[in-house]
Amino acid sequence: MLIGKIARSSSHIDYICQVYQPGEVEQVPDPAEYAFGRFVRLAAAESPAVIGIIYDTVLMNPEFGTLGPRLSPAGDLAVFSPDYLNEKVTLVGIVAIGTWGPGGTIEHGVPPLAVRIDTPVESLSPDEVLAFHADGKGGARLGYAPLLLAHGSPLARQLLLRTIEQLEALCPAARPQLRVLRTGLAWRAGVEPLA
Amino acid sequence: MAQPIGTTKGPGEAAHEFTFITPDRDEAVKAGEFVYYQATIDGQPRPVFGRVSGRRPARLYPDAFLADPTVAPEAVAGMVGYAMEPPELFEVAVTTLGYYDPDLRDFVNPRLPPRPGCPIYIATDEMLAQVLNRLQPGQVGAAHIGALLSRPGGGVPVVVDARAITSTHLAIIASTGAGKSYLAGVLVEELMAPHNRAAVLIIDPHAEYDTLAEMQAASALRGDDGYRPDVHIIRPDDIKVRISSLTLADLRYLLPNLSDKMQHYLGRAFGRVRRQYKDKWTLGQFMVALRAGPGGKPVTDPAQDEELEEGEEDATIGALLWRVESVLGGSRIFDDYESLPLSDLFRPGRCTVLQLNEVDAREQQVVVATLLRRLWQARMDTEKGKAAEGDETYLPYPAFVLIEEAHNFAPASADVITSQILKTILSEGRKFGVAVGLISQRPGRLDADVLSQCMTQFILRIVNPVDQARVAESVESVGRDLLAELPALSKGQAIIAGAAVNTPLLCQVRRRITPHGAEDPDAPSRWQEWFARGQDAGRQRDLSLLLQPEKRNRGKLFKTER
Repeated sequence: MLIGKIARSSSHIDYICQVYQPGEVEQVPDPAEYAFGRFVRLAAAESPAVIGIIYDTVLMNPEFGTLGPRLSPAGDLAVFSPDYLNEKVTLVGIVAIGTWGPGGTIEHGVPPLAVRIDTPVESLSPDEVLAFHADGKGGARLGYAPLLLAHGSPLARQLLLRTIEQLEALCPAARPQLRVLRTGLAWRAGVEPLA
Repeated sequence: MAQPIGTTKGPGEAAHEFTFITPDRDEAVKAGEFVYYQATIDGQPRPVFGRVSGRRPARLYPDAFLADPTVAPEAVAGMVGYAMEPPELFEVAVTTLGYYDPDLRDFVNPRLPPRPGCPIYIATDEMLAQVLNRLQPGQVGAAHIGALLSRPGGGVPVVVDARAITSTHLAIIASTGAGKSYLAGVLVEELMAPHNRAAVLIIDPHAEYDTLAEMQAASALRGDDGYRPDVHIIRPDDIKVRISSLTLADLRYLLPNLSDKMQHYLGRAFGRVRRQYKDKWTLGQFMVALRAGPGGKPVTDPAQDEELEEGEEDATIGALLWRVESVLGGSRIFDDYESLPLSDLFRPGRCTVLQLNEVDAREQQVVVATLLRRLWQARMDTEKGKAAEGDETYLPYPAFVLIEEAHNFAPASADVITSQILKTILSEGRKFGVAVGLISQRPGRLDADVLSQCMTQFILRIVNPVDQARVAESVESVGRDLLAELPALSKGQAIIAGAAVNTPLLCQVRRRITPHGAEDPDAPSRWQEWFARGQDAGRQRDLSLLLQPEKRNRGKLFKTER
């Protein structure tokens, strides 16, 4: 399902997606579609799709901090200045973690090609998430895990934990290895900061 | 050309050490293993050898990957994208031995560490067999003890130089059950082999070397000229020490806690009997000299002693006479005329086993002291030309004495009667061809000077920290890295160091040709046998005939029947 479009980037793998609002698309995405840890596809027609994970959410509201009186009530603004209302947007941060080629070729790691502005972003279905992580031997792979941890986001460990939990539900065959990874991460993310 | 197993990283902690990095996928870089690098020495390419002295991981899996024993860390690493070769890397410390100089028959340290990036190779079996051993098995003076521990299948034989052992002494040190008697047996077999034909005496306080008698029938020890080892076992009943071979110190040692006055009388009588009869006197003559007392009152016939009336003799002399009589007169070892002839004890191609298992501890020490003293005197006299063929002190060949439980003959805490002669032999024996091999399970109790004079060391497993410390302080040639292996050695594995080998090495002792005589008794099996033979039932039956307290109404304090 389409959830938005790429609005800007801060690095080769770090993109900002502006979530569609009412009026922009026929079906406005449900917040669950762009939740923390959701896998997304940054699809472009002519090149392999970049796969990313939503790692952050920012709410933009130009009205915040404007303390003066308004001349028009809010209901009138929707009629006379609809673009003004549209300036309140939801932005989600996406870290690129791999590519999915047209032939089904899946690579984990830094995508060689950058994504263009306005590239549509759509969420992956559970089956697609499973396919992206399949190792070809019935197990799972998380080849982008070091990339996520090196990304520098304060939420990186939580993000990886969330990803592992999703995969544990989707791929029972890989649970023992995933549990080892999750246990180590849970300790470093949950206990060590408090020590 | 062999494949390199690692790459030099740089110099190590000490000047003679360097480190290299290796993935060691074949698990070939073991502790004590020998490696080499190629260097140009005096314009010639030469392999410079070193011994692996330490190993630490340079790159390992994170601990978290090892959390679940049922999940292989490779599987977790593969999941997060590591699909390369096994990731372990090790930094290995190497003690440089040097290049082998065939003329010097020793290693020469180039005093220059290898340059970083220099490839490191595992030394081949053939190279090691050439450079570790001065002699090849079967050569005159070679003692084939076993094989290099790090090479499976006995690929590199360990051959020690029997010439070094039999001139500069050896020590075999190990905890109980680590295999020191077994190793001593192997060594004796080698010394008695046709290519050596040594003159060996074994001081055997536990009678565990009598199986060496089978050397006489062993075809492996038979020479082309019909030679076969001659094994002469002397049982405790056959041990004889002539009383006149005892010194005053021996007598004082055999008669402990003498008063000053007694010491005085003893010394005077000893001097008198020596002056009168030189070195051939009997117990009776000594008693007469003792009985003469301070006044020099003559008693000519020892048989008349009992006829003296009470009160006629000094009480001190009486007590001294009684003690001398009870110790020397009552002993089956000390004899007026008989002594074990040196030429019987020591003869090339003969191994004499002196069993002391039923002999009192002090008597054991005096027996050994007198024997060593006689051997020492004989070798000195023969070498200096003072003894000629036919003389009692003529011994025209070197001799080797192996002493079990050596800590009883040269203890650290006290000076016993054997200490001085042992120290003399250890320090000067080389000149006169007298060598000793000391075997001890308690090096901590062995005199440190004595231990440090043994220039070849066979060290088996030692667990006791006091004993480890004594070995470390007394045995200079063994490096720290090898000493650290001491508690981890298994039965039959030994560190061999010192004059008889080119460099300290870890050795797996070979199998003995003769059976081992010091097997531990299997007590549980013996207990089972007792029941299996029905002896327990028989004993109970026998006892029941004698003891039936209930029927006889015994064993009860109070009558309860009406």
